[in-house]
Amino acid sequence: MARQRRHWPIHLVLIAACFVMLVPFYWVLKTSVSGENIFSYPPSIIPRDPHLFYYVDVWYAIPFARYFLNSVVVSVLTIIANVVLNAMAGYSLTQAFAGKQIVLMLFLSCMMIPFQATIIPAYLITGKLGLLDSYLGLALPMFSTIICIFVFKASFDAVPRSLLDAARVDGLSEWLIIWKVMMPLAKAAVATNVILSFIWSWNNFMWPLIATRSQDMQTLPLGLARFISYQEDTTGALYAFCIMVLAPGILLFLLAQKEFVQGLTTGATKG
Amino acid sequence: MSVTAMDSSVARSRFTERRSTRKAVLIWSFLAPSLVIFLLYRILPLAWNVLLSFEAWSPLKPAVFIGFDNYREMFQDDDVFWQALWNTLGIIASAPLGIAIALGLALLVNSNIRGRDVYRTLIFLSYPLMTVAVAIIWRWMFDERVGLINYVARSLHLTDQPIPFLNSFTWALPCVIAANIWQMLGFYMIIILTGLQTIPGNLYEAAEIDGANSFRRFLRITLPLLRPSLFLCFVIGMLNSVTSFDLIYVMTNGGPGHATEILVTYIYKLAFNQTRFDYAAAITVVFFLLLLAVTWGANRLSGGNVGAVEYD
Repeated sequence: MARQRRHWPIHLVLIAACFVMLVPFYWVLKTSVSGENIFSYPPSIIPRDPHLFYYVDVWYAIPFARYFLNSVVVSVLTIIANVVLNAMAGYSLTQAFAGKQIVLMLFLSCMMIPFQATIIPAYLITGKLGLLDSYLGLALPMFSTIICIFVFKASFDAVPRSLLDAARVDGLSEWLIIWKVMMPLAKAAVATNVILSFIWSWNNFMWPLIATRSQDMQTLPLGLARFISYQEDTTGALYAFCIMVLAPGILLFLLAQKEFVQGLTTGATKG
Repeated sequence: MSVTAMDSSVARSRFTERRSTRKAVLIWSFLAPSLVIFLLYRILPLAWNVLLSFEAWSPLKPAVFIGFDNYREMFQDDDVFWQALWNTLGIIASAPLGIAIALGLALLVNSNIRGRDVYRTLIFLSYPLMTVAVAIIWRWMFDERVGLINYVARSLHLTDQPIPFLNSFTWALPCVIAANIWQMLGFYMIIILTGLQTIPGNLYEAAEIDGANSFRRFLRITLPLLRPSLFLCFVIGMLNSVTSFDLIYVMTNGGPGHATEILVTYIYKLAFNQTRFDYAAAITVVFFLLLLAVTWGANRLSGGNVGAVEYD
């Protein structure tokens, strides 16, 4: 009892912190369902005449379905490529081979190059490949991520050597060893890969902004930014759009928080 | 050793040799796709940027070598570049503030209280969200007419006139930095929490027996042992913040004037609005060197193991 009483200042501070973290969401959610003029002053704290009109409005104001489809296609491409390529690269790094140190050095130095510092040549290269304004071009730079390679490597390192040797004696090729032996044992690493690559490609803004020309190829974040430049912030539909875009991310995060955190901390401490 | 035995050992070594070459080829072919991606979108662009920065080139003109002219223009004549550089440095300097807040929260969440997982989740929630949406949320919070922050400030009579935060030369940059810290806070906290959990509890017990109070224990045990985590936070947070193109593009687009221009937004505008790829490449090179220098400095301060990987 005394113990619990001693904790109340901690709870107070943490509740205040959570309040600060959550209020911005609430303010946007409130605006998106509020029936009053969004510029009436003083702003109401609880939504007045709540309705979902703005959520319907979004579908008429912008090609929401198209943006959504584009985002999904690019994300799915990215996720599949990440799981396959990172698993292969991660498995290679668990083996001994000539040149391994060079590869590790290369990976580590690549981590120091933020994508934002490569945009001009990345644009020119993608143009030379003829992939501007295409799904493949949007996803290609994110096809493999170094953090995720190390997530797989850490997970494969934990598989006992004897299991590998047994599989080799049974005549399994290295390719089959990855998919039949390693992957089923590395489910957590696969989950981490899927979640991280989904979040990165779903939220990516700068690359689609540069690499798309037609409106048909734009993804959700671009649609959101375009919406704000066309409409200013005069309509509640913008905030409804905002909530619709945020919802999948929040949902996924709440469902798979453990894998997400694990990926970040593995990536952070291993690379 | 008999002749046949020698023969068979040669044959065996040839066999294992062939097998190991085959295996090496296989391993390199597993690595190849990832390596191609990194060469194409990391290494090659870096080299190309450097090359481009010494040229006068645009998609319509043939390239001409002009030496350091782009750099001379940047350092001598370009006020916007200097403004963007200072703003970028300002954002880097703000990272320790976020880390300090996160450290406090992490210490509280790490204590043995009920509902710590809920607190952790709620504080971490903002990190994985789409930055464009976060920018729109904060635009709305800072709105001059009905933003919550102005509303609270006016209700508490802190100000009579609503403050146009994002249109004000004084307030725009601090507002963008605040939004950035808000988004990064949860990430810092998670990294620090992971660091806290690696500190052995018996150190604290020993210190308590020696009569060290909780403040001294924090100063003498927690802080030194957390040093790698804190610097890791700084490096990743710094990289994340100075490249938060989306946040600034949507919140202010570098305005008013160039009050919130950072190097990345300036590079983007030069390259893709004014088609000055060559000059933008020169700024990119300076930007990259700046990041390297800051990372290197942080690495030295932390004892040299930020970003270290176990070699085996």
